Amino acid sequence: MAKYILQRLISVIPTLIGVTLVIFLFQRLIPGDPAVAMLGEHATEENVARIREQFGLNRPAFLDRDALVEGDLPGFFDSQYVRYFNRLLQFDLGDSIHRRIPVAETLKERFPATLELALLSMFFALLIGIPVGIASASRRNSWLDGTTMIGSLLGVSIPIFWLGIMEIMLFSVFLKWLPSGSRLSPGVSITPITNLLLLDSLLTGNFAGFWDAFKHIIMPAVALATIPTAIITRMTRSSMLDVLQEDYIRTAAAKGLPERVVLYRHALKNAFLPVITIIGIQVGTLLAGAVLTETIFSWPGIGKWVYDSILGRDYPIVQGVTLLIAVIFLFVNLLVDISYALLDPRISYD
Amino acid sequence: MSTQMPEVEVLTDFAVREHRSLWLDAWRRLKASRTAMLGLVVVAVFLLSAVGAHFFWNYNAKTDLDYSSKLLPPNLVSTAEKPGVHIFGTDKLGRDIFTRVVHGGWNSLRVGLVAVSISLIIGCLLGLFAGFFESFDMNLKEKLVLMCGLGLVLGLFPAWIARQWYQTLLFGGLGAASVILEKKFAHVKLRPVMFAAAGALLGGLSGLLLAPLVGLVCAVVGLLIGLLLNKPVNGKAFSSITMRVMDILLSFPSYLLAIAIVAFLGPGLEKGMIAIGVVGIPVYARLARSAVLSVSQKEYVLASQSVGEGHGRILFKHVLPNILSPIIVQATMGLASAILSAAALGFLGLGAIPPEPEWGAMLGDSYKFLSSGAWWAVLFPGLAIVFSVLGFNLLGDGLRDALDPKMRIN
Repeated sequence: MAKYILQRLISVIPTLIGVTLVIFLFQRLIPGDPAVAMLGEHATEENVARIREQFGLNRPAFLDRDALVEGDLPGFFDSQYVRYFNRLLQFDLGDSIHRRIPVAETLKERFPATLELALLSMFFALLIGIPVGIASASRRNSWLDGTTMIGSLLGVSIPIFWLGIMEIMLFSVFLKWLPSGSRLSPGVSITPITNLLLLDSLLTGNFAGFWDAFKHIIMPAVALATIPTAIITRMTRSSMLDVLQEDYIRTAAAKGLPERVVLYRHALKNAFLPVITIIGIQVGTLLAGAVLTETIFSWPGIGKWVYDSILGRDYPIVQGVTLLIAVIFLFVNLLVDISYALLDPRISYD
Repeated sequence: MSTQMPEVEVLTDFAVREHRSLWLDAWRRLKASRTAMLGLVVVAVFLLSAVGAHFFWNYNAKTDLDYSSKLLPPNLVSTAEKPGVHIFGTDKLGRDIFTRVVHGGWNSLRVGLVAVSISLIIGCLLGLFAGFFESFDMNLKEKLVLMCGLGLVLGLFPAWIARQWYQTLLFGGLGAASVILEKKFAHVKLRPVMFAAAGALLGGLSGLLLAPLVGLVCAVVGLLIGLLLNKPVNGKAFSSITMRVMDILLSFPSYLLAIAIVAFLGPGLEKGMIAIGVVGIPVYARLARSAVLSVSQKEYVLASQSVGEGHGRILFKHVLPNILSPIIVQATMGLASAILSAAALGFLGLGAIPPEPEWGAMLGDSYKFLSSGAWWAVLFPGLAIVFSVLGFNLLGDGLRDALDPKMRIN
């Protein structure tokens, strides 16, 4: 088992290097002189020089073959990519071009907002998706099943940013029930512990703060949760349908066990593995979807930050956030793989 | 005797049912499904209106501007107080939203179609070859092509260092030699050493012509290449390398990679198409590979192999037609998600360049005017996305059932 986990961990390394390579290559996609593209055409000489230095743009991209001809072996390896990779190993994601502060610092500051949003969305998705999927599988072809299937198809067909806009229109503009934008109303404060506001307010017993934070997060969380909810529902349903045809389910029902026990004890346990895979993939959907949802709701997380940075051509930020999301996604899927080995005794991984 | 004849006829009539191909069968089942037909109709309406508008309805986005009628609510009948018919209302520049939604369809659907074509063609070819050579041994010619190609590609590296492009040819030749000499020195334990030495000599000697250090580095690189080339790569290695590259692309969740690529390339419809297309490649590659793996052990494939048909013929005549159904279903659903990704890019301002109409970009333009109550400017472009995507999803769902041979009507 430990050997399997170690093996999987090692197998991630080439993929990780590939990911850094792809993200490094992004900056080669910038048309024209990258330094000028980042700063705009009216940039001062000094700023252009600073950017060239930061990105090592005066060095070759991968290897310096001219250094080799001159007999300089260390110079051969001194390149943009090697420098970039070295900095990454020290958790240095570079500096923001416009604000000139380290990307990693702001990332740490803004990530909790995105994490809170994603966690709450995933919570909603599981809370709705799994029971509804089970119910609709156990009553196949009923009106409930039909509604679920249509609903889940609709869920994957609605652009989340449009759903967010519609929510704001209905609940903020017309009904004026919920606030839109930012995480808290002005004047409300919550003592930071984990920087997950809902959690912090509960930990400090600040219920007024909790209610305010909840009113702010509910609309973006619902918008972000639509696709995962729809997909988890569909997957739970189809996986349960497969399992419910098995003999042991018929046996369990035949010996008079209540339906609830058959469904949750006997069927769900066996139907859950494919659902876990889908949940892992949905973490990615949530993180990518955060760019759109946070933009609509002016949510101060990393998604909104990416959007602002795209507009401002602050490329190190786009690179840094993309890398962070890809790494999180990779490790979540690794966890899913490992959980397979733990949960399914039929599969041996030696 | 004469009384027996009709019975026989009835029997044969029963045994030989009317011949129907898989596709005709599938079409009948598709027609029987109400939701699938609904999807087909929706898709057809969107495609026809978009194509029709593009070719027969003149619209110049650049001159469409009328501040006097900006942000007007939907108006179905032209009256004295409310002149002008705008069934979907007008936007912040006084442009008729209905016109722009219909014309925007051309851009939005085009992005989806081109993107899916890119991922479909490249992904399927990669998956086909990966899956096929994983289950069939390569013949001499294919090994030669693969190893020669591998040698050429690897040789690019020392060639680039030393600026001696002929080195690629040398290493290509080394790859070919590895195949030709495969049987000859199979038992010699020194074979890896021989190839490593050959590689080091090829790289090192040519590098020395330039500078001593270049020669040294090229020799080291050549040595490694020689080691890699010493044993001909088999299909399994080819397949696992391809799939590892796909894994790298898959570690960026959904449209995030497309957003990042276009963020660096700069906005534009064509760039969006390519980005969404590239990002979609791994899905089709994985699907095609697993489908090929499941088909290639079937009797009809083994039979065609045993009568001596060539690999190309087996691949495209026997394997490909039999893995088409899951690919068609995936492509239909893929169109839905490509349209969604395109809309997301447009919304973020990375798609169509204004004032060109595109559904996502229209939403991105108008949502800031929401507080003024202009719901129509965001409702209708959004509904266009929802319905077109829903149409493709319904059709894909129906196709999945229709193309499933287990559900064949008797």
